[in-house]
Formats: sequence, structure tokens, C-alpha cells
Amino acid sequence: MRFDVYGPLVVSVLLAVAGPLTGRYVAPAAAARVLAAAAVLTAGATTWSLVLLGAALLGDAPPVVREARENGRTPTAPVPESIALAACLALVVVAVRVHRAVRDERRTRRALRRLCAGYPADTELIVASSAVPRAFAIPGRPGRILVTSAMLGALRPEERRVLLAHERAHLAHRHGLLVTAATLAAAADPLLWPVRSAVVYLVERWADEQAAATVGDRRTAARALARAALTAGPAAPGHALYFGDRAVTRRITALRAGPPPSLWSAALAVVALSTLPPLLAADATGDLFGLLTGRPH
Amino acid sequence: MAGTGSRGRAERRSAGELESEVLAALWATDRALTPAEIQAGIGGGLAYNTVHTILKRLYDKGLVLRDADGRRGAYRPAKNAAQLTAEAMHQALDRGPDPIAALQQFVTGLSREEEQALRALLAEGDA
Repeated sequence: MRFDVYGPLVVSVLLAVAGPLTGRYVAPAAAARVLAAAAVLTAGATTWSLVLLGAALLGDAPPVVREARENGRTPTAPVPESIALAACLALVVVAVRVHRAVRDERRTRRALRRLCAGYPADTELIVASSAVPRAFAIPGRPGRILVTSAMLGALRPEERRVLLAHERAHLAHRHGLLVTAATLAAAADPLLWPVRSAVVYLVERWADEQAAATVGDRRTAARALARAALTAGPAAPGHALYFGDRAVTRRITALRAGPPPSLWSAALAVVALSTLPPLLAADATGDLFGLLTGRPH
Repeated sequence: MAGTGSRGRAERRSAGELESEVLAALWATDRALTPAEIQAGIGGGLAYNTVHTILKRLYDKGLVLRDADGRRGAYRPAKNAAQLTAEAMHQALDRGPDPIAALQQFVTGLSREEEQALRALLAEGDA
């Protein structure tokens, strides 16, 4: 219990470091799935660890203490009280953060539903008559692709096909779900924020690869991205679209570099790493119950 | 219906996907386009009949207008719904935290150096 319970936190840090690297050695489809799953498992285990640490306060609760004294033993405090209190505070913060993330998610869904209002169910492409170049996939049933007229006008025919294929890949592979899962995980466990960023980047890479395969030409896919990005123009720092991480340039470089590597050993390493937190948390749980019921574990 | 054309890519695309491509081609230009012009524009080996069928479906949905600009048989995208969508989109963008920023965007912002590098890339391909 003493060490296990802190395990998920350590794994969170390791994932935050390893996550972004995974994308370099594993094909984006595999990397995105593995990282999103790892983030959810780790966040769940971290939160549970906080519950355990907080619950350790109960170790001093009268009934248990009385029972322990009756058995002629002095109860040992498995966790310093200050840490248990800190864990309780952290749990409150986690609850608030997850609540906010869920609320933001719902707000986005509502805004998106309004964009699709009035279009027949079997219409995939929704065009917005706007001078702002934008393109994005709207998840749902059915999923839709929203593109502004400015974006369509800027691209060449084969580049429009890249754009449509890219957004279709987001919908077909439910990238919205992966990103939502990673976002909620990062809300519960802020240490996982870099993992969430990696998932966001990797689903774009995944869709790029699918689009390149659909049009049968990686260079055309790279040119479509370049032209779309130039049309969108430079975004001011602080603007919602500015990430400052050279994401588009990195995607274009990846498309021009050839098919991504597929090192399953790297993916398996992340999978192995992400199974640790639940195991450690489970072990710590056993220890806690052992303490609470007065049985040595 | 998507398979009525020549063998090739077109056959693997669904009716919905083909509709998107034709609609995108119509929105990409300011001119009204004839089915033949669309056929030449979207590539992928679509048969003329297929383009015609898709245009009819789009027309029935009210997404395109026929005989536009005084050209018989030419098509143009219908603007009304697209303007409403644009208004809704801008409302969503302007209201506090951008809900759409959370989505998978096709592209994101560029820095100055990136912009120059990308211009060079496109120029190199055009040469």
C-alpha cells in the first residue's frame, strides 16, 4: 500500500514523457489508440489512488480503532494524515476539473448540432458560406464534414479530395471519441496533458495517412495540407487555432517522408506501462481493506 | 448507383461521398458548372451519367440550383442554407471559448517561417 498507491502518479509522469515519443516510432493509428487507452487507465487508477489515500483517514475512524484496540493492537497509520488530507483536496479539484471538461464537451456538441440543423440525414458535406477558411469533422450519427466556401475555393480538385478523405477518416475511425477520452483523462490527471496533446496530433496524422492512401499520392496530400494551412494564414499567438507546435509542418514532413514505421514493440511497451497503474491501485486497494478490517495483509 | 460508371476509384466511393465531391466542386468556383465541366473537374473517372444522377439528388435536396446564370443545364450551389450555417458557425466561434477549437481541424495556425517553407514547397511542386 505504502508504495503501490503512489505508483499511478509515477506512471502518469512516465506516460507524459513517453507518450509524445510513441508517435515517432509507432504508426499513428496504433499510437493514438494505445495512448488514449493508456491515458484513460492511468487517470482512472490515479483517481482511485487518491480515493485510497483519502480513505486512509478512515483508518483512524472510531469503530476501526476500537476494534483494533480490542484485538490488542495499536492501529498503524499507513498514510501520514497530511497526505491523506492533500489527497482529499486533490479529489475535489479532480471532480471540479472533470465536471468542467464534461460541460465543455456538451457545449461543443450543442453548438455543432446547431450547425447541422436543417440538413437531410444523408448529406455528408455541409458548406458554410464564409470567407474564413475552415474545415472540420462533426462527429455524430450521421457524422458530417463542415467546410467553408473559402477553404473549398482555395484548393485544387485533387486537394479537395484529400480534405474530404481526411475528414471522413476522422468520422469513420471515431477520432472524436479518442480525443474526448484523452481530454477527460487529462482533466482528471493533469500530468497526462502531454498525452492528450499527442493523441490530438496523432489522429490528424492518422487521417492524413488515410487521405494519402485514398488519393493514392502522398505528395498531393502534403500539398493539400500546405495550401490549406497557407489559406488559413498565420494565426496570432493566443488565438484559439495557434498551438505554436508546428503541427501542420510536422504533418507535411511526415507525409513527404514516406509511410510511417510500425514498431509494435514500442506500442506494446506503452500498453504494458498503462496496465501498471490499475494493478498497483488494485494491490493498494487490497492493502487498505486489509487495514480497515484489521487483518494483516 | 455509384457503380454505374467506369471501373476504378469511382466504384469504391459511396453515393454520399460522390455527392460531397460534386457539391465541393460547385462551391469551389464562382461560375455555374455544367455536368461535363464537373466531370472534368472532380476526376476519379466518374461517368457522365453518374454526375448527372448526383446533381439530380442534390437538386432534390435543395442544395443546388439548376439553369443558373442563364446557362441551360448549368448548376450552382444554393446559398441560403450555407449562409445560415455560416452565421451559426461564426456565432459559435465568437462566443467565449471556441467550441470548434476542440475539434479535429484540418489545419491549424502557422508561424512566419513555416509559412515561407510551405510557400516554397508549393512553388517547387508547381514548377
